[in-house]
Formats: sequence, structure tokens, C-alpha cells
Amino acid sequence: MSHTLILSGVTFVYFVSFVLYLFGLINGKEFWGRAASFFAWAGLAMQTIALILRWKMSYDLGLGHVPLTNFYESMVFFAWAIIFTYLIVELLTKNKIIGVFVVPIAFLAMAYSSIAPDVSNRIEPLIPALQSNWLTIHVVTCFMGYAAFTVAFGCGLIYLLKNMEKGNTEKPSGLRGKLPALAILDTLIYQSTALGFVFLTIGIMTGSIWAHYAWGSYWSWDPKETWSLITWLIYAIMLHLRHVRGLKGKRMAILALVGFACVLFTYLGVNYLPGLHSYLKT
Amino acid sequence: MSLKKNTLWSFFSSVKLTIVLLIIIVFVFIAATFIPPHIVQAFTGQLSPGVAELFLLLRLSDLYHSFLFYLLMTILSINLIICSINRFPSLWRQYKAPNFPEPAGIFDNLPQSQIIIVGKDSSQIKQIIKSCLKKNYGSTKEVDTGKGYLFYSERCRFSLFGVYIVHLSILVIIVGAIIGSIFGLEADINIKEGESVNVANLSQYNAIHKLDFSVRCDKFIIEYYEDGTPKTYRSDLSFIKNGQVAKQGTLLVNNPLTFDNYRFYQSRYGTAPDIKAIVTYTNIGKKGGSLTLAVGDSFDLPDSNAKGSVLRMENNIMQMGPAIKLRIISPKKDIQFWVFKHIDKIKKMNSNLLTEVPMFNPGLFHPFVFSIDRMEQTYYTGLHIVRDPGVSLVALGGLLMVAGLIIVFFMAYQRFWVRLEQLGTKNIISIVGLSNRNDQQLQDKIDCLCRRIQEEIKA
Ligand code: HEM
Repeated sequence: MSHTLILSGVTFVYFVSFVLYLFGLINGKEFWGRAASFFAWAGLAMQTIALILRWKMSYDLGLGHVPLTNFYESMVFFAWAIIFTYLIVELLTKNKIIGVFVVPIAFLAMAYSSIAPDVSNRIEPLIPALQSNWLTIHVVTCFMGYAAFTVAFGCGLIYLLKNMEKGNTEKPSGLRGKLPALAILDTLIYQSTALGFVFLTIGIMTGSIWAHYAWGSYWSWDPKETWSLITWLIYAIMLHLRHVRGLKGKRMAILALVGFACVLFTYLGVNYLPGLHSYLKT
Repeated sequence: MSLKKNTLWSFFSSVKLTIVLLIIIVFVFIAATFIPPHIVQAFTGQLSPGVAELFLLLRLSDLYHSFLFYLLMTILSINLIICSINRFPSLWRQYKAPNFPEPAGIFDNLPQSQIIIVGKDSSQIKQIIKSCLKKNYGSTKEVDTGKGYLFYSERCRFSLFGVYIVHLSILVIIVGAIIGSIFGLEADINIKEGESVNVANLSQYNAIHKLDFSVRCDKFIIEYYEDGTPKTYRSDLSFIKNGQVAKQGTLLVNNPLTFDNYRFYQSRYGTAPDIKAIVTYTNIGKKGGSLTLAVGDSFDLPDSNAKGSVLRMENNIMQMGPAIKLRIISPKKDIQFWVFKHIDKIKKMNSNLLTEVPMFNPGLFHPFVFSIDRMEQTYYTGLHIVRDPGVSLVALGGLLMVAGLIIVFFMAYQRFWVRLEQLGTKNIISIVGLSNRNDQQLQDKIDCLCRRIQEEIKA
């Protein structure tokens, strides 16, 4: 079976998983949550296989490279990393509500990669500048970081949603009553941000090592580099506020959203500004 | 102490300042990525001359190298250094804090889950506690408090300095970047195949930099994938110092070469305007030969008194492919004619060609017949040359930062005390812990320890 077919299947599976998480949230029965996790795991397994098949196929075509080199492949890997990170968090926290906000982002990434008009899913030959192992490590670490920030974003959203009801003193009811405790969300926002920050730091570093070998300059202030630094600084500010000024709760949640907006701009928005990284445009 | 009262000192020792600075830097970056340079230039043009001069002086048109940005980085560095100095004494106290007696009051109001009451022999229980702590944390210390025993274990005390490592790494990177920008150099050179060059054009200024060695390009090769995408750019280089080849190597994109503190990068390539033709000739009954010719070259034809020269050389003339124009002078004749590479094909399309246009006859100088074996283009390779003595510091800073962050976020400093007291026939075991962060993880560890001790006692 061709990997593109499996990947379309994966897109569908993630959608199903999202709907099941949503059912679980609304209806509160454990069954839906378990079914949702099952689909998420199944999707992850399928996607892993598809990525390996694509990798193998690139060798069969005589091009031989990791499937992490153009915009399409990075989008697919982003979705993979989101689900992977999310499922680990789910295993650790036993909490299935966060999936309602995180899994659809992976679904959207998969859907966008397959339907966006100017995204090509062909396995393309690698131009000399991209033939570097540092590039592979760079992409993997950056996207693991982005995935952790996505989880922080999902938790931040739930936090704010749940926080809206805090004003009224009545017993929490309806949907919001089923959301996890604010304190748990707060910890999760902090932990996934810290994890993402470490990955992003390594990602920026491996990126500059690659630039050092490819262009002779570890930092050239192209817009993508600058925006990754902006994102890094936003999260650094957030972590300082937490550690030094004890910032908690709603403001951390809002910063998690701001940081995620920066992540998205670094990944997608910057391609509309000119620069070295514009090869990522297809 | 008087230092701490100094207002300037306290201004620089505030973390609020750090956060404000970081936010300002974020806005400077956003401005720098969103405002295209040509708009800045147009804007500078409209300013009154005095203001425009100031604008240029502060280099606001290039925010990353502007006075404003340097100022922000300077304040940030001072801020970072002073914060670090300020906090060091309390950190050191924390690092040196004695394990015994335990911090006052930590055994008060313990939840039930952290207290174990058993009736066994206390010396046996002592052994159990010790072995559990040892198994979990490597080592343990104990004191006799008079009322019973107090045990202590800890993990990752050094992680108190994680923040220092992270902050130090930022300074190291900044210093490396400054060294690079002061003592570093970037230049470009183009070298034709077979030639050697010892001067380079500086990238930032309109000036020439002389190298005290020369670089020869022995060969430049491009390979393509089947679909025409470039696959490899490759230059074989020789570095010549004091008239001797000191180093030879293959330069590829993503695989720079280093010589004499300079790093060489494959950055461009091009074709030189001159081409070469490999020409062969036959001479009925005699030996033929092969010549490598460029425009203007002259050559002797053996077994005759003739001398030839190349007048023109074309890669593709009148859609008929490569051709060269030769002039041959012998005592009797002075003739000019064209030699086409694809003469057979051309003759097929027009069978009377050679009689109609004798000039197209490669055998016009009887009995010699010329043909073109192939044309060769000379490439030049474009190298980017960098000398950056700050790179190793920046790399060190990067390593330190990653190490520091891992210590800060994943290796919390945790301390555990276990108190064993006798109350009548019962032994009371109380377990507490302290950490410099992340209470959830600490609680998990305490619970785990409680469970372990309980299990061992039962066994
Ligand atoms: C450049 C100016 C900076 C200053 C003046 C500064 C200052 C501080 C201060 C005073 C603390 C509190 C330390 C403590 O509680 O013991 C802190 C914590 C921290 N800083 Fe910075 N910082 C700066 C930049 C950065 C950057 C860019 C990073 C990015 C990696 C960073 C990473 C951290 C971390 C991870 C902590 C938490 C440590 C903890 O709470 O124990 N700092 N910073």
C-alpha cells in the first residue's frame, strides 16, 4: 500500500479520535475516552509506518533522504510529533480531556498537508544545501518543541475555558465541570512549556550548526531565524515570570497562547517574508 | 552592603528590568522582520538632513547592527551579571545548608500518609530505612537526636547552579559573537578551473583582502539528478603556501574546508566566458592527431609547413551546434574554414553543402580533415571565506546552555529526611522532603519512599 494512502487514512483516524474525545467530554463515560485513545494510538502507528515507507521509497527512487525535507513532510511530521507528545502526556497524567484540544490540531495539520493547493507531496531530490544530518536533527528537535508547545496551548485553552466559570460560585456543572482541575492544567502548561523550551533551544542550536556548515555563518538574521528567537524569548519571559515572580494560572495560560501564535508564525507566517529559509516554500 | 544600596546597582539587579528588556528586544525583532529595508531607505530620504544623519549614525536602517540593539544587549548583559552576583550569596548559603538538624518545623502537620507506625524492633527498622534511602538515593547520613534517629538523603544538589550555567552560557555566546564581529572576516572569491587566486573581496565592504597563501581550483564538477535538480557542487582545491601545495581537499556544500584559520565554503559557481575545443585531424596516409584549442591559439601541422590558428569558437552557431573557425597558412595557401561538430548531420540535410559553401568543409586544407571531438567549458567556482575566532566560544555557550537547561528543568534539587522515634512500644517513622521546585514530583518521590519502607517492614 502506498504511504500517501495510509496518510489519508491517518487524517481520517485522527478526526475520529478527536470526535471520540469530544464525546467523552460531553458524555463523561469512560468508554469514549478509551476509544479515542485507541484511535490516536492506531493513527500514530499507521503514521509511523507511512513515514518509514516514504523513507524507504525515497531510497528506491535513488534520492535517499529522511522524510523531513520539504514543507509537506515537515507538516506530516508536525502532526506525528503532536500526537506522540500528547499520548505520552496522556499516559503520564491519565487525563483524556486535553485531547479534545490537541488532537484536532494534528488533524488540521494532516488535512492541510494533503489539500492545500500549493503543497506538493512528491518525494523531491535534495539540493546540496539540504544534504546534512544536522538538518534532520534540527527539524526533529524543532518539531518536538512545537509539539510540546501545542500541548501547552491546548491546556491553556482549557484553562481559560474553565476559568470563565470561576466567577459564578455555583457548583461546576455542564461541560466545564468535567474539565481537569485548574492546578493540574497549570502544572501541565508549565511542564510542557519547559520541555518545549529545551527542545526549541536545541532546535535553534542545531539549526545554526547546519547554517555554519552550509553557509559559513551560524546566524544571519533571516526572518525565520529571528522569529525562532522571538518565540524563544517569549517562552523565556514566560518561564522567568513563573520562576522569579511566581506567575500562575490565567496569565500563564494566556502566555501559552501567545507563544503558540509565535510558533505558528515562525513555522507558517514567515514563509511570506523573504529569506534563506524560503526554500520551504513549495 | 553599601553596593546594594546604590540605586544604579539595584536598578540593574532587578529581574523586572530583564523582563522589560526582553520584551523590548522582541519588539525590535518584530519591527526588523516586518519593515522591509527599502521602506526604511525611502523614509530616511524624507528626513531632514540632520535627523537623517543621526538615523545613519545609529544605523537604524539595520536594526540588528544598530546602536539601539547594541545598547539593549549591553544593558541585558550588565543586568545578567549583576543579578548573578547579587544572588550568589544566598545560593551559596543554600548550597552549604547543613543537613542536620532538619529545617525547623518541617515535621509539623504531616499528612497521615507520610507517617508510618510499627511495633517492630527499632534497630531492625533503622536498617530498613537506611537501605531504602540508599537504594533510592545512593547514600544516606544519620544522626542520633537523643529521642531517636534522623536520616538524610538528597539528589542533584549541583542543580542549584543550573540557572548559573544557563545565564553564563548566554554571556559566553554574546562574547563569542562580539569576538567574531570584531576579529572575524568574510570574503568571497571566484577561481577559474586550473587557476589560483590569493586575494578575496570582502563581503561587507568594497575592499580586497590579501591572503598569505593561494588557492587553486583543480576541478569543478556539478552533478544533477535525473530531473535536472542539482545534486552536488564540488570543487577540488589545492592550498599553496610558500610555493608548495600545503593541503588538498574536496569542497562540497555542507562540507567546508579549513586552511590557516580560514574556512572555505562552496557558495556559487559559473562558467567562464572562454571555451575549449578538443579537435582531432586526420592526414591521409600519415599520422593524425588531437589538439586542445582555445580562441587565439595557434598550432603546427606535422608533415607540412602549415601553421594553424583559431579565429572563432562557438558553442552553438546558427542552431547547428558547436563549431570553430580555423585559419591555416602554408607557403602556398592562406585559407579559412569552419569545422562543425555535427558535420555529418548537417551534410545529410543539405547534400550539396560542401560544394555550395566550401568554407564549411572541414577538409578544405587537403589532405587534412578536421573534426571536433568535444567542447569544454571552463567553470569558475565561487567560494565564501570566513574567519571567525568567536565560533568556538559560541559553540561552548550553546553546549553550556543545553546542559544548564536540562539541569534546571529535569534535575530538581531534592532533600529527604526520615525521622525514627520511639513512643512506648511503637516506632514512629515520619518522612518529609524539600525541593527547590516542582512539588508534584517531590510528592511522588515521598509517596514512593513511604510505600517502599512499608513494604520492606512487612516483608
Ligand atoms: C539576560 C538577562 C537575564 C537575566 C538578568 C536573568 C535573570 C534571572 C534571575 C534573577 C533568575 C532567578 C534565579 C533564581 O531564582 O535563583 C532567573 C531564572 C532563570 N533564568 Fe534567567 N535571566 C536572563 C536571561 C535568561 C535567558 C535568556 C534564559 C533562557 C534560557 C534564562 C533562563 C532562566 C531559567 C531557566 C531560570 C529559572 C531558574 C530557577 O527558577 O531556578 N534566563 N533569571
